[in-house]
Amino acid sequence: MPDRDLDTEVKLGLYEITAATGQVPNSAQVSRKIGLDESEVIAAFAHLHGKRLLLPEPGDPTRIRMAPPFSGIPTKFPVEANGKRYYANCVWDAYGIAAALHCDAMSHASDGQTGEPLVLEIKNGRPVPQTCVAHFAVPAAHWWDNLIFT
Amino acid sequence: MLLFRSEENVNAWCAAQNIPRRPLINLEQLWQLAIHWYANRLTLESRRPGPDEMVSIFASLGLTGPFWDPKSDQWK
Repeated sequence: MPDRDLDTEVKLGLYEITAATGQVPNSAQVSRKIGLDESEVIAAFAHLHGKRLLLPEPGDPTRIRMAPPFSGIPTKFPVEANGKRYYANCVWDAYGIAAALHCDAMSHASDGQTGEPLVLEIKNGRPVPQTCVAHFAVPAAHWWDNLIFT
Repeated sequence: MLLFRSEENVNAWCAAQNIPRRPLINLEQLWQLAIHWYANRLTLESRRPGPDEMVSIFASLGLTGPFWDPKSDQWK
């Protein structure tokens, strides 16, 4: 099977598990889901990282830190959607989870300076209006340099 | 990127962190970015926007200039 097809199969399997459970799966879980050897799944993770579609956990190629918009670890951007809790990588990805799942969603965030709790909500395909703003500290040319910081 | 209640809070954060103030976007712009990036992420057709496509998406939302250009070398 060509690498591209394998990569796509792994990516879709990973996202299917994530959407269904709220948890980004590891290589063993994806392996069981799609019936491929785990070593092939790990190789696909690396290929998908090269294509800037996944970010493996630093030092552990069997786990995924970021499957945008989903985070593989708890973050400050929990998202409630479809009766499940997901974690987003940032405020963009908090909205991104609603966009990816095509559903209403609510995210609990906080003001970057004061810590004031803020709620972001998507309802009927639109953001519930608020006066909040998002600040991009890193220019687009460097978003992938340190994605965890960005 | 971080979320703030107000522009004043952004300015206070940048000063406290000694980080230059960068562009701000509102929540409607952020939602449109989320749709462009992720609406088909769980499908077979999913792909990440290429550099030129990113520039076009940003421009459609009023986000222009080298900050929003993934090929810009102004920030090295």
